[in-house]
Amino acid sequence: MPTSAPDPLLQITGLSTGYGKIGVLHGIDLTVGPGELVALLGPNGAGKSTLLRAISGLLPRTGRVRFAGKDLSAASPRDMVGAGLVHVVEGHRVFTHLSVFDNLLLAGYGMPRRERESQVEEALAFFPEIAAKRNDRAVTLSGGQQQMLAVAQGLVRQPRLLMLDEPSAGLSPVLVDRVLTAAGRLRDGGTAVLLVEQLIEKALRIADRVYALVRGSIVLEAAGNEPDLPTRLEQAYFGHSLRPPS
Amino acid sequence: MFVSIVSYGLALGAVYALIGITYNVMFAASRVFSFTAGTVGMLGGVFGALFIDRLGMPVALGFLLTLAAGAGLGIITEILTVRPVLKSLEQHLYVLSTLAFALILQQLTAIEWSTEPQPFPRLLPFGPGLFDQQFWLPLLACALTIVGLEWLYRRTLVGRAFLAISEDNYAARALGLPEQRLRIASYALAGVIGTLAGFTGGEMMLAYFGNGPLLNFYGFVPVALGGMGSNRGAVAGGLALGLFQQTANFLVGGIFASVAIFVVFIIVLLVRPEGFAGSAPARRV
Amino acid sequence: MNDSATLPLAVAPKRKLGGLEALVPTALLAAVGALLPWLGDSYLGVIATRACIYWVLVSGLNLVVGFAGQIAIGWVALLTLGAYVTSVLTAGTVLPEISAYLALLIAAAVGAVFGVIIGLPALRLRTFYFAMTTLGFATIVTQVALAWKSVTGGGVGVPGPVLAWPFASPWGFYYFCLGLAVLCTWMTSNIAASRFGRSLVAIRDAEVAAEAVGISKPALLVTVFLFSGAVAAIAGGLFASLQSYITPDAFTFDLSVLFFIAILIGGRGSILGPLLGTIILTALPEFAAPLVAWSTFLYAVLLLVIVLAVPGGIADLLDFKNRRPLERHREIRPRPELLAQILPPPAQPSHIKLANLSLSFGGVRAIDAVDLEIRTGEVHGLIGPNGSGKTTTLNVISGYYVPQQGQVRLNEEMLSPRPASARASRRIARTFQTPRLVGAASVLENVMIGATTAGRASFVESLLALPRQRRDEEQAYDAAMAALTAVGLDQLAFVRADRLQHSELRFVEIARALVLRPYFLLLDEPAAGLSVDEIKRLGTLIVTISRQGTGVLLVEHHADLIFDICDRVTVLNLGKVLASGTPAEIRGHREVINAYLGA
Repeated sequence: MPTSAPDPLLQITGLSTGYGKIGVLHGIDLTVGPGELVALLGPNGAGKSTLLRAISGLLPRTGRVRFAGKDLSAASPRDMVGAGLVHVVEGHRVFTHLSVFDNLLLAGYGMPRRERESQVEEALAFFPEIAAKRNDRAVTLSGGQQQMLAVAQGLVRQPRLLMLDEPSAGLSPVLVDRVLTAAGRLRDGGTAVLLVEQLIEKALRIADRVYALVRGSIVLEAAGNEPDLPTRLEQAYFGHSLRPPS
Repeated sequence: MFVSIVSYGLALGAVYALIGITYNVMFAASRVFSFTAGTVGMLGGVFGALFIDRLGMPVALGFLLTLAAGAGLGIITEILTVRPVLKSLEQHLYVLSTLAFALILQQLTAIEWSTEPQPFPRLLPFGPGLFDQQFWLPLLACALTIVGLEWLYRRTLVGRAFLAISEDNYAARALGLPEQRLRIASYALAGVIGTLAGFTGGEMMLAYFGNGPLLNFYGFVPVALGGMGSNRGAVAGGLALGLFQQTANFLVGGIFASVAIFVVFIIVLLVRPEGFAGSAPARRV
Repeated sequence: MNDSATLPLAVAPKRKLGGLEALVPTALLAAVGALLPWLGDSYLGVIATRACIYWVLVSGLNLVVGFAGQIAIGWVALLTLGAYVTSVLTAGTVLPEISAYLALLIAAAVGAVFGVIIGLPALRLRTFYFAMTTLGFATIVTQVALAWKSVTGGGVGVPGPVLAWPFASPWGFYYFCLGLAVLCTWMTSNIAASRFGRSLVAIRDAEVAAEAVGISKPALLVTVFLFSGAVAAIAGGLFASLQSYITPDAFTFDLSVLFFIAILIGGRGSILGPLLGTIILTALPEFAAPLVAWSTFLYAVLLLVIVLAVPGGIADLLDFKNRRPLERHREIRPRPELLAQILPPPAQPSHIKLANLSLSFGGVRAIDAVDLEIRTGEVHGLIGPNGSGKTTTLNVISGYYVPQQGQVRLNEEMLSPRPASARASRRIARTFQTPRLVGAASVLENVMIGATTAGRASFVESLLALPRQRRDEEQAYDAAMAALTAVGLDQLAFVRADRLQHSELRFVEIARALVLRPYFLLLDEPAAGLSVDEIKRLGTLIVTISRQGTGVLLVEHHADLIFDICDRVTVLNLGKVLASGTPAEIRGHREVINAYLGA
């Protein structure tokens, strides 16, 4: 049985949400412990991105969200960021008309100036490749670099929990490894990470725990290093094993 | 004669350009156009005359109060006519809500101020001259606005936040930017720019409620021609419009000049709906 | 071309659509209007005449603004045009004097032409821009009237036309205007209850879906602009007569605003609402306010209140039947056995073939050298991870996107990529990833939109409720009811579509597609958001549709549904075809599994 830390950093109970009339998530329960890397896996259309949006407040929701001991069920994304939960959305959406440096400054909007600037420098240090392009407009960056910039934006506030939505999407295998290694390093450094991923094998390599979300419900919860996990996940995705009887 | 055409043309063009910028700033913040832009310009002239002539305030105070009123009007526009509509499913209604509000303001002005054009006070204590203050004040205002906006967007974090919510509202929200507050601030800024236009152009255009629809249209032409959201396009378009209008006035008379402008406007839009500096619309399906 | 009438189905009692309900505005106006002279004095008569004249214009503008949803604020230009054309022709200053009636007809023709000119930018421009151009036109017309002194008298003006006996006296004139107003009410009510009315509302609220059922926006809008322009010009002539003398400043921006607001206060998509709105707004200044400025102020306040509080206007407030609560736990129970009566008998085996199809957006290859074949009588599944190009492929087949490479063939004939509205007549129907329906219309009206291409009556025939138009309506009604019964939603036929649950909306879309009696049906993720039971019933419905002979392309995420009902499956990944074969072959395909698991 997987054990989680006595006081989970993030605790979701009975979360439901949707878009207009379409209900997408049905009563989700989920926890993330401090300094844990939790992978959220699942097939397309399962609702993984929707779940992150509901947690961070981008979507209205019903249910309870407890973070760092506080009830933040009605929080807006701004409140969440202030509490230490940062959501890096899917699609490496950075502000293309602004420079790399400005993108990072904006991530620290509202912080005292000195603190903001020093934390921007720290975030840049994590990704030396884009540090070299600090004054270039974000539109000149490649897809992978923009993704790194987006993750760097997430780091500026030194969050206690960083949520990454498919950071590997559209990236070459080399860059995928870079980004996921960075996520692992964050966890090693004490930041909790909730990682939504399509690439099961790579996610399992770095995850402490794993949830599988299928059609709006959690169908599986396990420790990352359990031996038969890949098969169990396949079953969870497709409802039954795909392999023809041998 | 030539000098007169150029002076009036550039000065009026500067006023039009500023209204165009008003449209643009509102658009950047909320992705909708508001019929209130020209109305706010008209009120810049009316408030100026009200504060300085009728209430006898010193010019500087009247000026600041007018700008403050502009900011207030901008904020009311956002809260009353833009935000509630954007939240609902029927987004196109913004055309109607902003139109309604513009009409309300206009009619109130006609009723409470006057249905006839009223004189606008002389702002600076110099006498009339060849290149008179009524000409260079709007141009100065336009130049200062452009410089000011550049400084805002390049040098301040708030300005860059404006650019961010304009480019990608969703990502800005996720990042934790106070998107609501920034939008209200943008509208307040737009209101200030609008009243600035009306105030500096007051001596030329007089304090008249009928300037509302006039500025609504002539302020929109630079936006349509110069491309949605492009302030530089708005300035170029505005100045060009002003010069074209005065030249046509001189050559064929006021009425045909207006007709000429409308015809050119409509033809350009049909040929290039996105304007000269704009980009084509996105996918629908 | 319609097959023999459908067999009687045990459905909700057949309600005559339109019919009596549509006559209410006409009857009301005729009754009240005829009685007015007995009730009121001549002052009331003038107001009533003015209201009738305004309504003649507004009834036509209603089709443009209320039904088609085009923000034509500057329509007063046509009033001005009509007024001047009529007045100048009857004054005999430019051409020999002619009778006022003939002048009105000529004005109508001129108005029709200018209606199209003013309205045409709507096809190219976004909403706000179009609104501005109509305002520009309104000003141009007034300016020209001011400048062209030799014809229009410039600022001095011209006398208005005088109608010959018996309509010369004030009450006589009133009856003439009332007659025209009643006629316009009747005609536009007929249009509202015809496929034209439904199509207008479709392009207003569901333009993309409207294309898919064969509605051509340009043709429809031009027709409506012609009618509205003509009718507005006639109103202009009458207006000039009422004023007895016109000058350019009689045609103010305020007047334009009045017309526009009357429609919005009345409610879009309604005839009765704008009629009441026009009457209220015409009468208001007489009773409520001393200054013209106050009346425009009141109109503007009313407009703001309506937009913010009751966007549906008076029509919404009067919509009692949609206040009745609906049953809470509704189930969708399709009756696939009824499909045999709706779908065409198995046609010659035919197919849609995609060959080497490629399309890029920006720098990204959305689909790359895709080959696919959909055969009649088969269910062909199209699956793949997000971003694999499934919906893009569907959009190319249905004509929304133009491929940069490759072809789509229907039976050996090349299908030209555009327009999407041509697909309906080839009997290719589709549904959408998110249901695209007209929320303000009833479920049945939404489904009847599918019958648009089957309609034979012309606009004029619909205007005058001629027999062919009535036949069209009956056939459309029957076809739509049959389709709704087959998908199991006939009990909700008369409910406003936006009151339905998401899953029900998906089935309404399918019913709408079935009305086209398609040879090929393209379904875009129809199972999304459906419960397990609903998915099972959807599956049975789809299988039966294909057994009737229709070729189905099913784009889906639900692996179970795909493997249960598909005859063939194609898997896309990153825009390329990864595998193609029977479900059994695909199931064990290692690469497919890996693509989904992202290994």
